[in-house]
Amino acid sequence: MTASHSMPAERLLDVEDVHVHFPMREGLVKAVNGVSYHVDKGEVLGIVGESGSGKSITARAIMRLLPRNAREAGGCIRFRPRTGEEFELSALERNSRAVRQVRGRHIGMIFQEPMTALSPVHSIGDQICRTIQLHMGFDRQAARKRAAELLARVRMPRPQQMLDNYPHQLSGGMRQRAMIALAISCDPSLLIADEPTTALDVTTEAQILELLKELQAETGMAIVFITHNFGVVADIADRVAVMYLGRVVETATVDDVFYAPKHPYTKALLNSIPRLGVEQGRRLPTIPGMVPDPFSVPAGCSFNPRCAHAVPGVCDVTAPEQHRFANGQAARCHFAEQLAEAVHA
Amino acid sequence: MLDKANMPALADDVLISVRNLKKHFPIHAGWLRRQIGEVKAIDDVSLDIRKGETFGLVGESGSGKSTVARLMLRAYTLTDGSILFRRGSGDVVDISSLSERQMREMRSEMQMIFQDPYSSLNPRMNLLELVGEPLVIHGVGSRAEIRDRVAELLRVVGLRPEFLLRYPHAFSGGQRQRIGIARALALNPSFIAADEAVSALDVSVAAQNINLLQDLQEQFGLTYLFITHDLGMVEHISDRIGVMYLGRLMEIAQTKDLFSKPLHPYTEALMASVPQPDPRGNRARKRIQVKGEIANPANPPSGCTFHPRCPYAQERCRTEVPALRPVAGRQVRCHFAEELELAGVAA
Repeated sequence: MTASHSMPAERLLDVEDVHVHFPMREGLVKAVNGVSYHVDKGEVLGIVGESGSGKSITARAIMRLLPRNAREAGGCIRFRPRTGEEFELSALERNSRAVRQVRGRHIGMIFQEPMTALSPVHSIGDQICRTIQLHMGFDRQAARKRAAELLARVRMPRPQQMLDNYPHQLSGGMRQRAMIALAISCDPSLLIADEPTTALDVTTEAQILELLKELQAETGMAIVFITHNFGVVADIADRVAVMYLGRVVETATVDDVFYAPKHPYTKALLNSIPRLGVEQGRRLPTIPGMVPDPFSVPAGCSFNPRCAHAVPGVCDVTAPEQHRFANGQAARCHFAEQLAEAVHA
Repeated sequence: MLDKANMPALADDVLISVRNLKKHFPIHAGWLRRQIGEVKAIDDVSLDIRKGETFGLVGESGSGKSTVARLMLRAYTLTDGSILFRRGSGDVVDISSLSERQMREMRSEMQMIFQDPYSSLNPRMNLLELVGEPLVIHGVGSRAEIRDRVAELLRVVGLRPEFLLRYPHAFSGGQRQRIGIARALALNPSFIAADEAVSALDVSVAAQNINLLQDLQEQFGLTYLFITHDLGMVEHISDRIGVMYLGRLMEIAQTKDLFSKPLHPYTEALMASVPQPDPRGNRARKRIQVKGEIANPANPPSGCTFHPRCPYAQERCRTEVPALRPVAGRQVRCHFAEELELAGVAA
């Protein structure tokens, strides 16, 4: 697929109608089923969804790191870093020269479990130096100096000594800092953060979120922040995309998503979260049923069997189009407009 | 089993009472695996859980909250202390002094639900075997009776009785958690310790299972020890809450009191750290950042174990270990509990 129109000047990443399928013995799993979103320069896009919503697989498609059994079934991913050249990522092979130039250099990545992303047999310093030498052409000494600076920047205690430590010698929070240092080592235009605080304790999580916000403000990089935690997304994101069963069901600014959600799924999820210091009654409101298994996705709107507002004959027949609102908010629901009026009435 | 006259004293409304509980794990090192020290995983923990209440235990990893639950069910042997439990018969027993055989009998009254619904169920057993296993072990009923009981238990936890012969892999995480709950309920326990029971579940499923636990509590008069690191969840489900840090209880209070006005700086820090699904609130909130990370339990800080991270620490905190003491009808382990004006979360 080729780029149909040019990217606006402020655009950094454009994900357009991306499909990723997994052929399995039991049938075809459409893990990503027409996902579109964009990221502008310097913004933090939060992507929330429950497990199986396709949020991580979409990110892997961007990074060209899909599992080997994945089939890309269409869509276009375009990326234009600060240096100005444009990459059509969806057309690139996972190990092509161009991709290796983008990954690590223009797109940094951090994951939930640093232990699996960092090499256990190389010191933290070596791993960061290797990246800097490769992408920025520094010599060994200059790279080591920059690596120490990076560790100081992610508030690592005793950065000089840390260079010679191995990942297993660090605590979970410190490993996450080391991975962040590695990810930002080449001043990327985009950081993809996939559940980076999920395995951490709340006090450490708060530290890491603060650090990411500071680094974002200092460097002006954009962040795609993937999480299942609505609290975390409320804290860090400028804009939010809510995903369900391989589709983006709603996108809006963070305030609109939380205070004026337009999609019934967003609304129902937000209601089911216990909030600190808020009396919610003895029973939590729930979403009936469960996320359907990926081999038997309901016809029409995939949320219809669980939706309190579903209208038979409409929602279980036709897949809804995206409804756009004047404020830029968009929801994939037949009745998004009516629901919005009901909320404001 | 027990001499009535020597029965330990327990207030009428208390189901289980933990007193001065200690658990020290040895540290071995070197070629000969000689013991070179010990980790005080649990250091002097005392708490009472009342009949029919939900007692929440919160803390970060390494705080010892799971170890407390395991000690209460004697999955670990304790180093010191006592655990008094009121049996269905009305007798009060000190669990810490029971033999393995006596303990096995006790376990029908005390059960546990685990976090990971994937690893806590044997994949080679079907639901009938899994949920029926406790019944078989305790010799309750014939095969037909066990089958009926298991079918009933499945209904109680919201699973279809037709699933009797299916294996765990056929179920989602939330359903597996329900299988674990059915198994725990099999012998009609009065006390259930739920260790991070909904932490691994998605938001919508966690809410369903929390509601189930609350329904079961009403239906069967259960008493819960609810262990979690999720403050929102613990606030929702608990009547009273204990906050743990490095093997010690820092504060015990009624849920409402704890959240509206914490008395321990660690409690305040925990609450302030949790990002809320409320962007404007997050921006307006004073974020108290605690420095550093939880200390190594093998080498805990002197004095108050929280002092290196505490924004209010003074000289006394470095030298003198604070006791867990009553303050304003609650219990707090801080020298300055009366003086500090700590912020809660708005009710």
